[in-house]
Amino acid sequence: MTATTALSALQAALAAENAAIFGYGAAGAHLTGSSLAAAEQDWTGHHEARDALAAMISRRGATPAAAQAFYQLPFRVHDAASAKALAAHLEDGVTSAYLGLVAVSDQGLRRFGALAMQAAARRAASWRGSTQAFPGLDLLGPTRACPAGAASPPPPRNHDDVTSLLLWARRCHIVVVRGGAQVHPAGGQSL
Amino acid sequence: MLLASATTLPLLFATAGCRSSDIFAGPDPLAGRPPLGRDVLTLQAVIASEENLIRLYRTAIGGDHGTGGHRTAQARTLGSLLAQHERHLAQLRARLIQPSGTSPTPTARLSASGATAGPSPARVTVARLRAAERASAADLVQRLATVPPALAQLFASIAASDATHVTVLGG
Repeated sequence: MTATTALSALQAALAAENAAIFGYGAAGAHLTGSSLAAAEQDWTGHHEARDALAAMISRRGATPAAAQAFYQLPFRVHDAASAKALAAHLEDGVTSAYLGLVAVSDQGLRRFGALAMQAAARRAASWRGSTQAFPGLDLLGPTRACPAGAASPPPPRNHDDVTSLLLWARRCHIVVVRGGAQVHPAGGQSL
Repeated sequence: MLLASATTLPLLFATAGCRSSDIFAGPDPLAGRPPLGRDVLTLQAVIASEENLIRLYRTAIGGDHGTGGHRTAQARTLGSLLAQHERHLAQLRARLIQPSGTSPTPTARLSASGATAGPSPARVTVARLRAAERASAADLVQRLATVPPALAQLFASIAASDATHVTVLGG
């Protein structure tokens, strides 16, 4: 992999961190007590990671991509449960983004990406209340194909279903909304 | 016209001072099985490590003689983590292609996860599982430098899963 792709992987990780910072702001508004404290701690961690990535990008002579002004939430966040689900979703996105760094030729970046994946996966498991076999990797395979157009996937029955649904939706560029799914709309970048 | 049978060919090569490798550009059919590539050896070692982790979990679950609800909850937790290790193993094995007749994991002794190969221990504590998970995650990250990108991503994902297991196990 060339230096350019290492740079793009760093930019992708930075974009995920920026999205997480925005998303934790939305989630935190619905959390209290220890959950809010955990969200604040994670939010701070994402700020630090963002700054570290920006510095790494600058050292490579490039300009760190700026955060979006607004991000489209993947689903409506209206209570503590949906706020925790959002936090888990954000961490899944961060884990996936760092997976890109693991594929570059720079061995230091590979290690950096892998360790960042571990941190994000631990946070995701904490918010979700369960672990995953393959954090960051989409190994759903052909079991759930992308629809040709707008579609309504089967409603999730449990948290694992929700996770699978969100991974599927991300791969298919579909935004999951309450009561179904819709094709990714124009507007704010999806978290 | 010269007719050469399979038995006369080596004699002809020897007479001419040739080895079979001087004639064929590909692998030497007379040199035996070629050595396994580094990626294959790495994958075999990781598979062995995963197999040993699974064995530890099975022993821990089988030896869980707690009482009442505690036993059930712990066994259920360990069973969930075991199922994820079985999925890891399936993915790792799916990436290993080697000639038939060879052992799938001849390098089991190279496992560096702390879950050393050999006879299963009679009893496995949660602390031992936690240490084995932590060692496995560290070992996988250590191996990232020398494997192709796709395999590195699988290793990193499994390492991240192992890291979450450490937390579940109280680490």
